[in-house]
Amino acid sequence: MDMLSPSSQHTIGPFFPRTFFTDGDNDLTRLNAEARPTTRGEPILIQGRVTKEGGFPCINMILEAWQADAAGRFNHPADPEQHLADPDFLGWGRAWTDAEGHYEFRTLLPGGYDDPAGRRAPHVNLTVMGAGLMRRVLATLFFPDFEDANAADPMLNLVPEARRAKIVAVPEGERDGVRVFRFDIHLRGGVEEETPFFED
Amino acid sequence: MDTNFPPHPVPDRFDPFPQGIEPAVPIEGYPNTWTHTPAQPLIRRPVTRTEATGPLDLWRKLPCEESNLAVLGPGRIAQGQLMHMSGRILDEEGRPVRGAVVELWQANAAGRYYHPIDQRDAPLDPNFVGNGRVRTDEEGRYAFFTIKPGAYPVPVKDTWWRPPHVHFSVLGPSSLSRLVTQMYFPGDPMNEWDRILQSIPDAAARQRLIARQTHPAEVGDGWIAFTHDIVLRGRYATPEA
Repeated sequence: MDMLSPSSQHTIGPFFPRTFFTDGDNDLTRLNAEARPTTRGEPILIQGRVTKEGGFPCINMILEAWQADAAGRFNHPADPEQHLADPDFLGWGRAWTDAEGHYEFRTLLPGGYDDPAGRRAPHVNLTVMGAGLMRRVLATLFFPDFEDANAADPMLNLVPEARRAKIVAVPEGERDGVRVFRFDIHLRGGVEEETPFFED
Repeated sequence: MDTNFPPHPVPDRFDPFPQGIEPAVPIEGYPNTWTHTPAQPLIRRPVTRTEATGPLDLWRKLPCEESNLAVLGPGRIAQGQLMHMSGRILDEEGRPVRGAVVELWQANAAGRYYHPIDQRDAPLDPNFVGNGRVRTDEEGRYAFFTIKPGAYPVPVKDTWWRPPHVHFSVLGPSSLSRLVTQMYFPGDPMNEWDRILQSIPDAAARQRLIARQTHPAEVGDGWIAFTHDIVLRGRYATPEA
């Protein structure tokens, strides 16, 4: 069969409609705004700020989160344990940044899993899109709770050691009894400032 | 929408984008690309389960029922050239992607977006919001009824113009098939001057972002029609059973 070439990426631009967002889009613990939250796993909040060169905030950046459920499973045929995945957890959410560059997700602390590439530590994949980004920017968030698992994670180990701490979220107390993790995304800067990003 | 069809087969092979297809950045005259694009080298990562998977039931979170952008309600018809926009979502092997979520948004006929960030001095149309979301059917088809968008100037020093274009966001069967792109109209001289379209190095890849107009004789006198297919990343290491 003749192969087709994938369509080119373009920027999402500054005008991704606010009207596309509904309540609960940034809440991964519920399938949608009407659904009850899943009972499996620890609910957490992920908060952060998206900044550009010079540390200035980025308004209306669109972030999408994708992660495994609390036991490290995906409701997807590529997971051999799909049948055991949490049926009340979609694993996907979307948020946008305000004028100060802030975003927030409510989600579950994900589980780790065994992968042919190696044992994956608990993590959340984040996609950042927005004006000035012609391609999606791909980040992965790790958690400080899992030092040993992080040290063995095949993806985190690809990041130069001095930069690894930048993609481990920072605990920031609790809100309404739910642990808060801070994950700032600095899109462009020197090697000491810029968030490590991936390509796949 | 009927959801009683089997999900799209899940691609298990993701090759890097062929040369010339990805936009070359930063772009001259587009200042945000100079301040937002990561400066450090990207780290190529292996495809583990998190990258290979994606939400197959996204329609449970994102309502996929908005396909008529041109008629807000009885007697509330958008201004501009009424336009039917349809096509297929395919994978790299040309198989239709079933159940993909397709989001479309665009400017109105005067080239203004219904968005608080768009403060340009061009009229808003009270009968046009300009966004819709549908799910592809068993043949990977999507369709919207809308109006042809207007061109607009980019508010930077040494202003340049965006040609009429339509934004697409497609969520397919895996994180790696996620695509955000734009579609252009055939024969518009502004396409050749658009800094964003021209950032795609390969001429054939640029051409693939331009829709095809259906002959009016096939459409009738109600509206004009364009078709546009979109190809998502994803192939199959193992043949479909």
